Amino acid sequence: MKKYNEPNILGRFGDYGGMYVSETLMPLLIDLDQSYQKIQKDKKFQKELSDLFKNYVGRPSSLHYAKNLSAYINGPKVYFKRDELNHTGAHKINNCLGQILLAKKMGKTRIIAETGAGQHGVATATVCALFGLPCHIYMGSKDIERQKPNVFRMKLLGANIIPVESGSKSLKDAMNEALRDWIKNVRDTFYIIGSTAGPHPYPKMVRDFQSVIGREAREQFLKVEKKLPDYLIACVGGGSNAMGLFYPFLNDKKVNIIGVEAAGKGPKTDQTAATMTSGTPGILHGSYSYVLQDNDGQIKEAHSISAGLDYPGVGPEHSYLKDIKRAKYYGVTDKEALSAFQLCSKLEGIIPALEPSHALAYLIKAFKNKQKGKTIILNLCGRGDKDLFTAAKAIGFDADE
Amino acid sequence: MNKLDNLPKKKILSLFMTCGFPSLSQSKKIFQEMLSHKPNIIEFGLPFSDPMADGPIIQESSKIALKSKLSTKHSLNLIKSLKKGSGNTAFVIMCYLNTIQKFGVKKFTNEIKSFVDGIIIVDLPFEEEASIKKILDKNNIHLIKLISPMTNKKRSEKLLKDAKGFVYYISATGITGSNKLDYSEINKNVSLLKKQTKTPVLVGFGIKSRKDALAISNKTKADGIIIGSALIKKYFEKNMNFKKYLSSLNKFIKQVKI
Repeated sequence: MKKYNEPNILGRFGDYGGMYVSETLMPLLIDLDQSYQKIQKDKKFQKELSDLFKNYVGRPSSLHYAKNLSAYINGPKVYFKRDELNHTGAHKINNCLGQILLAKKMGKTRIIAETGAGQHGVATATVCALFGLPCHIYMGSKDIERQKPNVFRMKLLGANIIPVESGSKSLKDAMNEALRDWIKNVRDTFYIIGSTAGPHPYPKMVRDFQSVIGREAREQFLKVEKKLPDYLIACVGGGSNAMGLFYPFLNDKKVNIIGVEAAGKGPKTDQTAATMTSGTPGILHGSYSYVLQDNDGQIKEAHSISAGLDYPGVGPEHSYLKDIKRAKYYGVTDKEALSAFQLCSKLEGIIPALEPSHALAYLIKAFKNKQKGKTIILNLCGRGDKDLFTAAKAIGFDADE
Repeated sequence: MNKLDNLPKKKILSLFMTCGFPSLSQSKKIFQEMLSHKPNIIEFGLPFSDPMADGPIIQESSKIALKSKLSTKHSLNLIKSLKKGSGNTAFVIMCYLNTIQKFGVKKFTNEIKSFVDGIIIVDLPFEEEASIKKILDKNNIHLIKLISPMTNKKRSEKLLKDAKGFVYYISATGITGSNKLDYSEINKNVSLLKKQTKTPVLVGFGIKSRKDALAISNKTKADGIIIGSALIKKYFEKNMNFKKYLSSLNKFIKQVKI
C-alpha cells in the first residue's frame, strides 16, 4: 500500500493547496518554506519546542475514558483526547509555539494573527508575551462581541486587538485584514496563521505542529487498549485540531476518520459553515480547497454558533482526504451542538467549547445504540469557558451580573 | 493584433476602475469618461468578495458593485460594449483567480478574446500560472507580470523571461492605494527590470497626484504609471454626487496625463 506523503514540494495535496498570493508575498512564502524545512531537521529547535510543550503547555494532554458518556450512548467506548487541558484552554497553543520559534529564527520582530473564537488569538498573545514580541490580532467585530472573555484575555496578555468591520465581520474577514497587514509590513512581520488553511507552507506547517495531538493519542491508546481505535472524530472549521489528530493515523487504514463541520441552521440553508458538505472547490486565502461560494465565485458568508468554525473555507488537506475518501465529513447544526455541550457537561464534568461540541453531537447522533465493542478517540480540543455567555444566551439563561 | 504590443516608448498612462461601480449604468459612464482622455490602457477590475491584495478604497468599490448583484457576465458585457470607439486604448482585465476559475478558464478566455488585450490576475504567482498562461497565449491575451520590491534579481529575471504587454511594478510593499512613494528605491528597482526586459515597465500602487506622475516620469526610468485608488477615492468625498464625480474625474485625469 502506498504510504501517505502529502503535500508535494509545491504544497499540493492532490489538486488542493498551492500558493495563490500576490507577488509581494511570494518571496516571503518561499523564504518561510525554506526556513521551515531547515528547522524540521534542527535538533535544537525540536528540543526547545518539546520542552515548551512539556513545561509550558502541560503536554502530553491526557486520554480520558469517558465512561458515563459511553454508557449513555450504549455503543462504542469513547476516549477524549483532552487538549482542552492545555495552557490557554485549547489546542491552538501547540502551533503558536512552533511558529513563534520559527519567527525568532527568521529574525522577525512583529507578530500578527487572525482569530475567530479568540482561542488562536489568546494563544498567539500568550506566546508573544512569553517571547517579548509585539502582537497584533485581527478579529471580526461580530466575534469581539460574542467572545468577550477572550478579548479581555488577549488585552491582559498585552496584545493589540484590531476590530475588523468588513464583510461578515468574522474569521474570514479577519484573515483578509491580516493578509493585508502582512503585505504592507512584509519585511519585519511574521504572520502566525492559526489553522491548516492559507497558502503553502501553512497547511503543512500547522498540521505538523498540531500532529503532536495524534502522536500522543496513538501512543496512549495503544498503551491502554493494546490496539488502534476504530474511529477518530474531530470538529473541522479550518481544520487544525482535526489534522493534528488525524495525520499520525493516516497510514493506519483500519482507523476510520470522521470530521464534523458546523452546519449552522442546517446544511441546506444559507446559514451554514459546512464547507465540504455544501461547498465546491475554489480559491480563498491563498489556497485551492472547498469553499462556500456562489455561481460567480464570490465567497459566501458562513454561519455557526461557534465562532471557531464560522469560516467559509477549509484546509486543503481535508478537501483531499474527502476526495480520496480517507476521511468522511458530516455537518452538525447549532442546535445539536448546543445540546451536546450541555450533555457532556452533565455526564463527564467537562464543559467543552462549542467547537468540539459539534464532534460530540455527531458522536451521539451516529453511534447511539450502535457499534458496541468499538472504540473512538474524540478530540476535545477546547474548553467551554469562552462560550459561557453565548451558550447561556442560546439556552435562555440570564448570565448577566 | 494586440494593442499592448504598440504602446509608446514613454509616459504610458494606465487607468484602473472597478466594473459595476457604483452601479452598472453609472459604471459605463465612468469608463466612457476615462476613454475620452485616450489613455494608453484601461484596467477593468472585476469585483471580488475577498480582495485581499486591495486597500480600503478598492474594497469598498467592489462591495458597492457586488451589492447590486453584479455578475461576471455583466462586467464582461460592459467591457465588450466599450470596445467600439476605444481607438488605441488597450483593454486589460484585473481580477482574482477564483472569478476566472469559477467561470471556467477556457470559457472565460473565449468570452474575452475579441475585446481584451491583457489580464492581471492578482493572486496568480509565477509558480501557479503555467496552465492558464498556455490558454491565454494561444488566444493572444497577455498575462501581465507583477513585480514587487520583495522580488529579488534572480526571481525577476525568471519572471520576466517571456513578459508581454507591460510589467506591473508594485511601487511599495503595501496594498493598493497606500504607503508613501520612495522614488530612489523605485528607480533602483525599475532600472534593474529595464535591463532584464524590453517590455515597458509601469509603476502602480500609491500614485495620487500630478506631482507623483511627474516625479515617476522625471526621477525614474519607468515607462509609465498606473492609477487606480486615486480615481475611485473622489467618489467617497463629502457632498459628492455622480455628476460632480464625473467632472472631478475629468479634471484629475487631465492633471495626471503628462
